[in-house]
Amino acid sequence: MPLKDLFEKDFQELERDGILFTTLSKLVAWGRSNSLYPVTFGLACCALEMMQSTNARNDMARFGSEVFRASPRQADVMIVAGRLSKKMAPVMRRVYEQMPEPKWVISMGACASSGGMFNNYAIVQNVDSVVPVDIYVPGCPPRPEALIYAVMQLQKKVRGEAFDQNGVQLPMVEGWSRP
Amino acid sequence: MTTEAPGRAQVLSTEQHGDFETKLMRINVGPVHPATHGVLRLVIDMDGERIVRLKPRIGYLHTGFEKTMENRTWQQVVTYTNRMDYAHSMGHDLAYVLAAEKLLDARVPERAQRVRVLLTELNRIASHLIFLGTGLLDMGALTPFFYTMRERETIFDILEMVTGVRMNYGYFRVGGLSKDLPDGFEEAVQAFIDDFPSKLDQYQALYAKNDIWLNRVKGAGVISRETALEHALTGPSARASGVNLDFRKAKPYSGYEDYDFDVPVREEGDAHARLTMRVLEMEQSLRIVQQALNRLEPGPIRDPDRRISLPPRHELETSMEAVIFHFKLVTEGFHPPKGEVYVPTESARGELGYYLVSDGGSMPYRVKVRTPSLPNLQSLEPMCIDGMFADMIVNIATVDPVMGDVDK
Amino acid sequence: MSAPTGAPSVAETIATELVERMQGQRSERFDQTHVTLPAARIREAVRHARAGGLEHLSDVMGIDWLEYPGHQGPRFTVVYNLYSLRDASRLMLRVNVDEDQPVPSITPQWTGAGFFEREVYDLFGIEFEGHPDLRKLVTPDDLDGHPLRKDFPLGETPTLFGDGRFLDPASFRAGMMGQDRGRTGWVGGARKGVRSEQGKGEGGEA
Repeated sequence: MPLKDLFEKDFQELERDGILFTTLSKLVAWGRSNSLYPVTFGLACCALEMMQSTNARNDMARFGSEVFRASPRQADVMIVAGRLSKKMAPVMRRVYEQMPEPKWVISMGACASSGGMFNNYAIVQNVDSVVPVDIYVPGCPPRPEALIYAVMQLQKKVRGEAFDQNGVQLPMVEGWSRP
Repeated sequence: MTTEAPGRAQVLSTEQHGDFETKLMRINVGPVHPATHGVLRLVIDMDGERIVRLKPRIGYLHTGFEKTMENRTWQQVVTYTNRMDYAHSMGHDLAYVLAAEKLLDARVPERAQRVRVLLTELNRIASHLIFLGTGLLDMGALTPFFYTMRERETIFDILEMVTGVRMNYGYFRVGGLSKDLPDGFEEAVQAFIDDFPSKLDQYQALYAKNDIWLNRVKGAGVISRETALEHALTGPSARASGVNLDFRKAKPYSGYEDYDFDVPVREEGDAHARLTMRVLEMEQSLRIVQQALNRLEPGPIRDPDRRISLPPRHELETSMEAVIFHFKLVTEGFHPPKGEVYVPTESARGELGYYLVSDGGSMPYRVKVRTPSLPNLQSLEPMCIDGMFADMIVNIATVDPVMGDVDK
Repeated sequence: MSAPTGAPSVAETIATELVERMQGQRSERFDQTHVTLPAARIREAVRHARAGGLEHLSDVMGIDWLEYPGHQGPRFTVVYNLYSLRDASRLMLRVNVDEDQPVPSITPQWTGAGFFEREVYDLFGIEFEGHPDLRKLVTPDDLDGHPLRKDFPLGETPTLFGDGRFLDPASFRAGMMGQDRGRTGWVGGARKGVRSEQGKGEGGEA
């Protein structure tokens, strides 16, 4: 067990084998995954279901999303809840760029993931063309349980335990940036 | 003085008062803001804490509903109508199917009408619960939000039992309902009706006598009756200013004339009146739900006219006409006669009406949705001018715009 | 709430007056009275209607008749939807305009029409003379054109996914009809009845 090694091995051994840093990285990744603060980006109907997922019955706070930060500077994940219109797309890109690294995006609902039932001049057909999406949640609107499942999947991805559709393991989030 | 909306706050002018210099600033609020109900953007000129000019900028949720509806058959439009006002979605469904039924001269059976009224009023209660929870949340009261969301979950359970979805129900059809009520529905609704008045008292206990809250909302954002009519304001916000307009009483539809309920009207026109107005409306909606539940009797749920509704399956084995009607309805849909129709209804936000133009085809020619939140936003200006910024947050909360309704 | 029997409703009276004095033409559509007026008289007509009891402006909307079968006359109609609180009667005023013809704005006298007229301008391109702030309301600033006109395309675009996958709406619909596999490879049988893969010969209900 890597955590046990931390207490039993020598410091030079740990550094040479790379265990210290991987263990610490895992610790930081575990910490990050369990405290994903979303930024309030509710656009349309999915926003109401997102609100419902924070209520007493489907409590998303027990998964770490204790508060929805209004300031993107204090948020980790952006849950795009609702149809993204082309007028709103630059605003969303700006909010995304204001979020500090590491950050993730959950595209909630059919409209954010693929334009949904609206394929016309006004709606961006896939939010992925504006911000890089990590998790797609289908549904119109997705049930709160589905959104919580998506947050759990994102937690797995942050910790490095997730696989994409081709079976390739997705990397864990970097604990800190190395110059 | 520029007219362009700024990317960051701009100083428009400065004034000297002795040693004290004040600046007139132009500030941008939104579209991403925790207290604007959705993607609403306001450009305000502020003199200190006082608002001098306010212009809403909308369109950040424009979805092109009306254009999309022109490319779907009349029955498929029902999928789109509820996504506009996602808080009171059945109100939109109801308004559309009433207008289409007027075009077709359809006879909706009694049971379908009563179920429609029952579910729409339940949805109205859910919409007012969001208003109460998020409105108080905007003012800083975090607890009532969780209480109101708990009741919403109960209503969602009932509506999911009937329609299959928690939100954005496409349950109504032109001609009636899509399917009948399940078993256990009446018990669930009765349990909710018995339980809700005590829950309303619970909410009142949380804020209604709180001095801080009363100081915040009493006298904030006063508009008079003339101003309300000048700005085409409708709904509970207008009734709080003395405009006695409720289309459920004025032009009853879907059997509303048979139900016994009151329409509260206030004269003060401030935020306190607008807020308490909706709580009173929830009580009245509960009365309607109880009466509708008592009157439910077994019967057909769709207009038997073969040109509008599918014939029952057993007829397809024996009757050739039934097969032809079935084929026409499934491949093309029905063809209403040429003409224009407008049916106003009362949604949780105000006057909601669908103006339908038919060219005799299987798809609508023009669908104009008269949504209540768009003109209601215009009344934000007289409410907020010369008030403080914090009052503006209260006023946005009490006007209760839903941006899907505003931008369509 | 309705007028006593025998007395004409507010909308009726106003409609008759408009027909007599302002060259209005009356039409009844599905129990609703419409009065068509020339564009130049609309301000006067709305002022008169408001003074006569039609105090609530429900809506100002536009209709584009370009693809209407058998339509003759100007391309657009602007409909003013007025309602009387006294006796719940409703009157619709119509103004027929051609493509580049402006309509006098009623916003200076009725502030509530501001957003309505801006929306009609944005979506149809009909200009309202005298509107204090006529600019786009709902469409993005970089969208040229007026979306609700019939010659503006719906704008169906394919959905692109990051790894190169592609959802093309037309062939997606063809796939749903069961005619061909389309881009997504899924064959639906929504109109014909679905056959399950495991049990051949297991027909289903449509």
